[in-house]
Amino acid sequence: MIETHRFLAPDFQSKEPKELSLLSIVSQSFFQPFSLDDNLLVILTALTSGSGVGFNRAMLFRSDGDKLRGGKWLGPRSPDEARMIWEVLSTPGLGYLEIIEHNRWLLSRDADAMTAKIAPLEFSLSRDNLTIPVTAVAKKELLLVRDASREPLVDPRFLQAIGVEEFLCVPLLVQNEVMGEIVLDNAFSRKPIEPKDVKLAGLCGLMAANYIYTATLHRKMVEMERMAALGEMAMFITHQIRNPLTAIGGFTDQLLNGPADEAKRHRNLEIIRREIRRLENVVYELAHFLKVDPSRRPEPFDLDRQLRSVLQEMEPRAAAEGREIRAEIDGLLPPVLGDPTAVGEVLRNLIVNAFEASPAGSRIEVAAERKDAAWVTVSVKDAGHGIPPEARAKLFTPFFTTKERGMGLGLLYIKRVMDACGGTIEVESEAGRGTVFRLSFKSQEEGRPEA
Amino acid sequence: MKRILIVEDEEALGLLYKEELAGEGYDVVTVRDAEQALEILRRESFDLIVTDIRMPGRDGIELITQIMGLRKEVPIIINTAYQSYRDDFMTWAADAYVIKSSSLDELKARIRDLLSR
Repeated sequence: MIETHRFLAPDFQSKEPKELSLLSIVSQSFFQPFSLDDNLLVILTALTSGSGVGFNRAMLFRSDGDKLRGGKWLGPRSPDEARMIWEVLSTPGLGYLEIIEHNRWLLSRDADAMTAKIAPLEFSLSRDNLTIPVTAVAKKELLLVRDASREPLVDPRFLQAIGVEEFLCVPLLVQNEVMGEIVLDNAFSRKPIEPKDVKLAGLCGLMAANYIYTATLHRKMVEMERMAALGEMAMFITHQIRNPLTAIGGFTDQLLNGPADEAKRHRNLEIIRREIRRLENVVYELAHFLKVDPSRRPEPFDLDRQLRSVLQEMEPRAAAEGREIRAEIDGLLPPVLGDPTAVGEVLRNLIVNAFEASPAGSRIEVAAERKDAAWVTVSVKDAGHGIPPEARAKLFTPFFTTKERGMGLGLLYIKRVMDACGGTIEVESEAGRGTVFRLSFKSQEEGRPEA
Repeated sequence: MKRILIVEDEEALGLLYKEELAGEGYDVVTVRDAEQALEILRRESFDLIVTDIRMPGRDGIELITQIMGLRKEVPIIINTAYQSYRDDFMTWAADAYVIKSSSLDELKARIRDLLSR
């Protein structure tokens, strides 16, 4: 016999040990694609739900390195509301997701009430500040405060906001870094805070600190990766600009400084013209590359019309360069997802690339078909030498190019456009038999739901 | 007459350097990559090498390593568009690092310095 069980399925009505049910609630967030805010909400829920630790209210402070700042405050506003919430939460069969949803509602409702009360609160984390709530993070200990109004160390602004005599401060620490603090109380039940509550609150504090730490680290890493990519890009751009500038400057100086016969004058001017064109290409490629907005939602558009119009536009150019384009479009293509202008640019780029790769007098083959109900493909085949495998692997890395001109952003641009519309680009190449670039677009045929 | 080997993959720049340095009274040989540079270095001797880094195939850094392997006591100038390699370990093996610009004055001055030592 085989039984299947969900991981640590929490049961809010069970009489299992609190430690276990607490762990069940908190660990749920490992399985959810939750944001940091959601994960923190799960922990605050664990701290305040009856099958968790069962505190009445939980207040969260976040650290910005210099200060503790008021964040969220979860719990009922009044004894009446507390009774109502407890009734709701004791409904049989209520799952943890419903409770989290309920708490999300509590927090959104409280944006103008409880949370607003602590949002303006700020406490300096400087070493000489030994007032409560900062002492807990400074000492790296949980602090249970009783008779708060008679305790001179409690910051009066804090006391006024929380309005209770007994509360527990849980510091959120990872190694020596302060992530924040959670303050818990039993404002409505007036139940004294017991040692086992302190222990469980500490456990939740560790997990909350870890969530914040991981999220911060993740954000920093993404930022660093972005900066590194940007640095790499800046380096290649300066390279692409400095080389032509050196040639332009040098050949201009020759003309300015020394005598030159007509042939040399002409040659220098030709070189200067060519290098200026290279600089223009750099600017053009960059401008195009930066224009792709991956966050833009792709929309259905008429690929059939776009493709035919690009082909019509490219044919005279092909003829002028001594190449022929043969197009095979399989019936009327259905609409697909994408940005029509960008896709037009992609098709133009692929055809121009094919011209450049193919010898004069050869034929470029463009084919388009409904692959199946979900995909439409467009392929462009050149008559070139093919791309060797080692170069094929690098085709879509930035700044890789086998051409004299250009920055190596062309194919990367195409990939970005295709990624942005949920499509793909593939390349097939065989030595001596040319190369095929194949674009696949998501079909948006009538009657088909968006994939 | 002092002999200079220029390693430069950009054709226009190779031509410019050759003409300009010949005008300064040097005997200049231009090659387009590290492979060709090593080949000619095995046969002939030079008083100075000017090389780019990051070229197709074997790049300039590798070239410098190999030249050191050939035990050629010849000064090397790195002449490149890349600023960011200036502090890289292997570029210290070169005697000067000149960033490409629209004026050749600095490159000419470094060459003069190194050849008058």
